[in-house]
Amino acid sequence: MKKSFRSLLTAAAGLAIAWGVHAAETVKVGVLHSLSGTMAISETSLKDVLLFTFDEINKAGGVNGKMIEPVVVDPASNWPLFAEKAEQLLVKDKVAVVFGCWTSVSRKSVLPVFERLNGLLFYPVQYEGEELSKNIFYTAEAVNQQALPAVDYMLAEGKTKFYLLGSDYVYPRTTNKILKQYLKLKGIPDSDIVEIYTPFGHTDYQTIVADIKKFSAGGKATVISTLNGDTNVPFFKEFANAGLTSENCPVVSFSISEDEFRGLPAKELAGHLGCWTYFMSLKNPENSKFVSDFLGWVKAPVLTGVDYKVTGVDSKGRVTCSPMNLSRLGVYLWAQAATKAGSFDVDKVREALIGQKFKGPGGEVTMQPNHHLINNVYIGETLPTGQFKVIKSFTGVKGEPFSEKFLTAK
Amino acid sequence: MIRLPAPLLVWLLMFLALAGKLHAQQAEGGRAVLVKALLSEDQDEQIQLIQQLVRLRDPLVERGLAAWRQSEVFLLERDGGRVPVVLDVQLDADGKARAIQLLNGEFLKDGSGAELRFAAAELTGAENTSKLRRAIKATMDLYALSDPNEKIRRDAAIKLGQEQNPDYLTVFADRLKEEVSLEVKDALTEAIALTRAADADPTVRIPAIQQLGEMRSINGVGYLQELEAKAKAEPSKYGAETLNAAHTAVVQIQSYQAWGNLLGTAFRGLSLAAVLLVAALGLAITFGLMGVINMAHGEIMMVGAYTAYVVQNVFKSWFGGSGGGFDLYFLFALAVSFVVAGGVGLALERGVIRFLYKRPLESLLATWGVSLLLQQLFRHIFGAANVQVTSPGWLSGSFVFNDVLFAYNRVFVIAFACFIVVATWLLLTRTSLGLQVRAVMQNRAMASCVGVRTDRINMFTFAFGSGLAGMAGACLSQIGNVGPSLGQNYIVDCFMIVVLGGVGSLFGTVFASLGVGITDQILQPWLGAVLGKITVLAAVILFLQWRPAGIFPTRGRSLEG
Repeated sequence: MKKSFRSLLTAAAGLAIAWGVHAAETVKVGVLHSLSGTMAISETSLKDVLLFTFDEINKAGGVNGKMIEPVVVDPASNWPLFAEKAEQLLVKDKVAVVFGCWTSVSRKSVLPVFERLNGLLFYPVQYEGEELSKNIFYTAEAVNQQALPAVDYMLAEGKTKFYLLGSDYVYPRTTNKILKQYLKLKGIPDSDIVEIYTPFGHTDYQTIVADIKKFSAGGKATVISTLNGDTNVPFFKEFANAGLTSENCPVVSFSISEDEFRGLPAKELAGHLGCWTYFMSLKNPENSKFVSDFLGWVKAPVLTGVDYKVTGVDSKGRVTCSPMNLSRLGVYLWAQAATKAGSFDVDKVREALIGQKFKGPGGEVTMQPNHHLINNVYIGETLPTGQFKVIKSFTGVKGEPFSEKFLTAK
Repeated sequence: MIRLPAPLLVWLLMFLALAGKLHAQQAEGGRAVLVKALLSEDQDEQIQLIQQLVRLRDPLVERGLAAWRQSEVFLLERDGGRVPVVLDVQLDADGKARAIQLLNGEFLKDGSGAELRFAAAELTGAENTSKLRRAIKATMDLYALSDPNEKIRRDAAIKLGQEQNPDYLTVFADRLKEEVSLEVKDALTEAIALTRAADADPTVRIPAIQQLGEMRSINGVGYLQELEAKAKAEPSKYGAETLNAAHTAVVQIQSYQAWGNLLGTAFRGLSLAAVLLVAALGLAITFGLMGVINMAHGEIMMVGAYTAYVVQNVFKSWFGGSGGGFDLYFLFALAVSFVVAGGVGLALERGVIRFLYKRPLESLLATWGVSLLLQQLFRHIFGAANVQVTSPGWLSGSFVFNDVLFAYNRVFVIAFACFIVVATWLLLTRTSLGLQVRAVMQNRAMASCVGVRTDRINMFTFAFGSGLAGMAGACLSQIGNVGPSLGQNYIVDCFMIVVLGGVGSLFGTVFASLGVGITDQILQPWLGAVLGKITVLAAVILFLQWRPAGIFPTRGRSLEG
């Protein structure tokens, strides 16, 4: 009895010391991605890659001598809840930085919270631009880092007719509005541009595919698709059944990365194109290390240095994709800036972030004063294996959120 | 035996040997060129070599090209060099196949002379880009002009005509002489006219343009419009005659196209109607006839769709991923999903619904709860992501009639819809079981009094309705997504169709789905998918304001309460 009491006491003391040490040596960061609801399929992968990156950094000694301690919240694909959770992270948990959001509407929902409380958010998913907040850093592809290079490529391939097909929400509509202006600048007449939207979860693509079939009769047409999620399945099935292939009418999709590919019929998509700043198939030492480390990590996910239990990581059939890479880049850029600033103070880190460079799996990136990256852009052809084969790359494309700048500059 | 003079015999033998050798050389040449193209690092050279292959036809070259296009040519590292091979179609027990060398058509062997075997999944295919594939396709199209399959010849002629390459004119003309199929002849004539229409000489050009107009050439209209615009912009270069001819031809073709559009819209409307009907028919039984507000209808469809997925996987493990045996999976899947979903329906009726026949609003809540349970259960078993159901070969692709595209899976859904409506109708009106069902649905107390076992009839009817829903799910797996939320995507449409048609009326359901399907497809080209759908919904609401009981109002149990 006596002995066990003493051991209890020692244990308690040990715990207290450990806790004290911990508290002094960790820095809290927020992870704001939906882990339930419709967006969970996409966003869970970003949560996983963030935890993996924290583990990488902690193993290498942390940031400013402190271990990264994640605070993971679940905004459940519910836009107002994003704002509430963001407020909770900043006020209650007092996190130094937040990594999160996928959809534009969730970003717009948290933006006022971050501005009011002077927080710091890293946003990693391709988006429509026309926004710039001093509290958000956009590692994401801007329109001129995804849509425009893809269109340039198609123009160079001799395509002169463009069928802009998208799901009906803010990202496709804004992107297509910009694309139409851009195509007009390039001398494509209105009659050769078609703009069509379908609702979320649309399953009947007969009319649209018949229309595309007619539109592409001369072999000069291409489809620029911003269709979201699983509506791609009925679309590509109908497309293939109509005898359309990537040879007579290629489709460039902006919303299909390796991760989305897991739920799509690979056979029907093969040969169509994707455009991102990163592909899993890129061949360079940084990427090989990232891919093999990540695939190893998901089998036994741990977080070094802090008392945090990693749960809910699926280890089957995992891939890496551009949003995941950009999430990871965000963490590294933030860590470098915090090191340079010697502090986690938002204003100091923000200042130090500008001009930060990082050599990542997609090549070297630089954070510009406009909070967007200079990054490499790749156009890839989808293979039946669910991977992309790079067929064209553009190096050092400067991200620019405001379309008026690149539409008048050329 | 005929005696040949010795010198003649010698000559003949030499000639035969020479001819054989020539032939062999040609074949070898083709193979060597193909191998060279495969090993080349320079894309332009590769394209050039692929074009050379047009004249060096050989079955192995054809096979190699086709395989290259599909990333199924493999470059194996052997003795310091790379050997291009394709895999034999015959697989051994481990799923491995022998490797056929493209250079000589022999199986690849190791040092001791044993044949080597490889699994396709373990190898990476030789690289191909869209440019290469286009070049390969062009060469294969030229081969395809003399393919035994009529459809392939026709497609090739259309494709090559689009290129308007004057080099092909002699190829077309040669082919036209020996062609027997009328359709292919038409396609070849069109291809010749289209190629000639791009000729610089107006005396060649204008008759070709007129011919395209006469032929109602839809494949040519794009070019003709372009030509008309160009002739308008530069009259001096093209001349008024070209402009007139192009204009007349475009008008001719477009008026024909308008007719084709009408036919196309009708077919697409019919096909959407069939999808809605297939989805709603089960609900027309469980909700329409029985009056159970069955919110789990969509999830029972989902059960059917996942059943199709499971059956597909079983067949895949038996027969491999393609071919005749695998292609049959879908017919089994339809039957199995009827049984499985019927079983789920039976359990649902016995477990929940039979206690709630007199409390329709509570059946709404209870079935909704069941739908959530089923969704979560399937998410747990199969994961949250969608699963992939591969269409069998006979449901992929399409055929063209009067320049209107008929996709096989759509035609199948229409036929299937007709089949299940007729079957259901026969069951309800021509069998004693159907008579009992109708009796119970119309007045349960009275039916019970005359000795109908109402309890069993309820059970049977609900299971039958669920079985139909399951078949619908299997059927829809060929068109859309299979995932835990499949049911939710259809449930609103289903209720809309049944209510619009008139609760309790089978034919109301048929007419309502036809009305909604065709209206939707007529409106879509004008208003777009989003606004089209909204307009249809608004029209349905207005219609129900005018006739709240739907198109065919019936007196059934649901109206008695």
